[in-house]
Amino acid sequence: MKCVIEGNGVKVFGKAVHALSRIGNEIWLDPQEKGLAVRTVNSSQSAYACFCFTPLFFQQYIPDPDIQNGCEAVKCMLNMKCVLPLFRCASWKERRVDRCEISVNIPNSRVIFQFHCRHGITKTYNLGYQECEALQAVFPAHLCPNVLMAQSKLLGDIVVHFPVSQEEVTLSISSFKVTLKTFCEEENNCIKGMNTELMLHPDEFDYFQVGEDSAVTFCLKELRGLLSFAEPYGLPVNCQFGVAGQPVSFTVKDMTLEAHVVLSTLTDPNHESPSQPAPGDDCPVNVTNTSTAEITTCESLWRQRKMIQLHAPGEILPKLSLIPESALTTPVTPATSKIRSLLFGAVYSDGGKDKTADLPSLACASDTEDDGGTEE
Amino acid sequence: MKFRAKIIDVGCLNHFTRVVNTVSRLTKACVLRLTCDHLYFVLSGRVATGGVSMWCELSQVNFFDEFQLEGVSADANEIFLEVAPENFSRALKTAQNAKSVKIKLTKKTCPCLTLAAELPSLSSVSRVVTHDIPVDVIPRRLWHDFREPQMPDFDVSIYLPPLKTMKSVVDRMKNLSNYLVLEANLNGEMNLKIETDLVSVTTHFKELGNPPWGDDGSQSSSPTHRDPDLMAEARVDIKKLQQFLMGQQVNPSKAMCNIVHRRILHLIFLHEDVSLQYFIPAVV
Repeated sequence: MKCVIEGNGVKVFGKAVHALSRIGNEIWLDPQEKGLAVRTVNSSQSAYACFCFTPLFFQQYIPDPDIQNGCEAVKCMLNMKCVLPLFRCASWKERRVDRCEISVNIPNSRVIFQFHCRHGITKTYNLGYQECEALQAVFPAHLCPNVLMAQSKLLGDIVVHFPVSQEEVTLSISSFKVTLKTFCEEENNCIKGMNTELMLHPDEFDYFQVGEDSAVTFCLKELRGLLSFAEPYGLPVNCQFGVAGQPVSFTVKDMTLEAHVVLSTLTDPNHESPSQPAPGDDCPVNVTNTSTAEITTCESLWRQRKMIQLHAPGEILPKLSLIPESALTTPVTPATSKIRSLLFGAVYSDGGKDKTADLPSLACASDTEDDGGTEE
Repeated sequence: MKFRAKIIDVGCLNHFTRVVNTVSRLTKACVLRLTCDHLYFVLSGRVATGGVSMWCELSQVNFFDEFQLEGVSADANEIFLEVAPENFSRALKTAQNAKSVKIKLTKKTCPCLTLAAELPSLSSVSRVVTHDIPVDVIPRRLWHDFREPQMPDFDVSIYLPPLKTMKSVVDRMKNLSNYLVLEANLNGEMNLKIETDLVSVTTHFKELGNPPWGDDGSQSSSPTHRDPDLMAEARVDIKKLQQFLMGQQVNPSKAMCNIVHRRILHLIFLHEDVSLQYFIPAVV
């Protein structure tokens, strides 16, 4: 793979890397015909982000020089800590990068970032990568009953009311209003902290569709990266979601790139349909949510965060498969009120109407067969 | 117990926010005392705070368009709430361009001061942001802890030098010593002194002026005049003095300090309709 990004584009690419760094510790590069997909997922697989840069974004874009032989472009996984410093925005003024070349050196397993700067200075960084399969979230956008589209400035104005340290927020939608409020798991926590709630009228949104009244709770921190990326460029943000437990996706689109953030949401123990068999679930009957992690302490109604369904065509990603089965039975102490499921390929349920295997993957479609690798 | 208040003027809102911000920089927790005419932010000197006390008084009519209070009982028509001013500050921060801000006492999972701001929006319907600030209601039997502090029988009262200057002097002295001596006399002279094994530094201020307290009995009981050159001093923890100076967001119209020799440093700031008093105990 080889691509060249000119001046301003380098800044945009750098901001994308910054946004991704708010979510995960690794960065996946996936050069495809339709563009370079740069992705990340957080360690608990509850947040996924993908920036797909179309060939228009680049001065030059060659997914794979060897494409005639039918070779697939190599997919690389890099440590975020290695990539992020290369795009430190602080030194933009001094750097004045004219262009950046990114290429993959397969024999040495290196991704080469070469910055051609002012005064003839060239900075070359050789980063070691781990070869792996691409990582995509399966997200049936067309099945989302609720869709909101707003200017990124509006969303920025909304989230500013919440403290930066605030983790979870609940987005509620009904036909006459949209609310965003702080979420706290336990009653005790609420007493210490402040609760904030913001109510908006549907008219404030550029597009408003409510198919089903719902309230979804997700991690606001993980969204902030995308919002800080979109706001300077004045890009509108598209938000799609369903009922509690189904992931929520935020999309920003432009001619040259498309950015997605998919966040899992907390399930609502009261409404969860027990359509999935619980693997060795020995919880009391109260907790009807059974499709994700096992719970060994069930004193109260634990809300669970469903995994984002990740689809890796072919084999399981070497990194993720290292999650031992025993992790599923890790007891949850009362202190950890949020349970992260580690079940790779958790079955995603929307009431059992559709089979998950038929769901199309997120925009950056892999060109390998979708062989239903979601079933485990 | 009921409390409802509303601010609709943006200038009043900004001013109120500045006061709350100042208080939040001085202490993490304080008591908000509400009466029909005033609001008070009170910190009563305790060992935990190093003996520092604070009394900030606002006249409600200068800020609020509507103010309704129903206290604990008819003869005690006041409400005392323990609150973290930082929460209050945070809630007000993003409401600076609000069309109106309503504050009321509510009961959610615990008693709260609910602040609801009506914000400008892109549609005909305003955006409403609500913050629930948890508070603790203080029972009547503890109210005596939060009485207005008496004006101490001070030895010297003097106007402070320009805050900016004083702050920069204190900031630099803080690097050298943990304690600072503030001394002043009735001749308008003030010295800030630090002394360590290696070095001693004194900054002299002259012609500051002394507030004319008059014969309201607050002066020392002895009828003889105090020697105008005689210095009264208080040795205080420099961090506490610095914290007080750092917290000020606006230049007060009047800034003065009363010194009870070797006992207390009493700082008074007056700005328009807000008065702020801060007591720092002297250390040996």
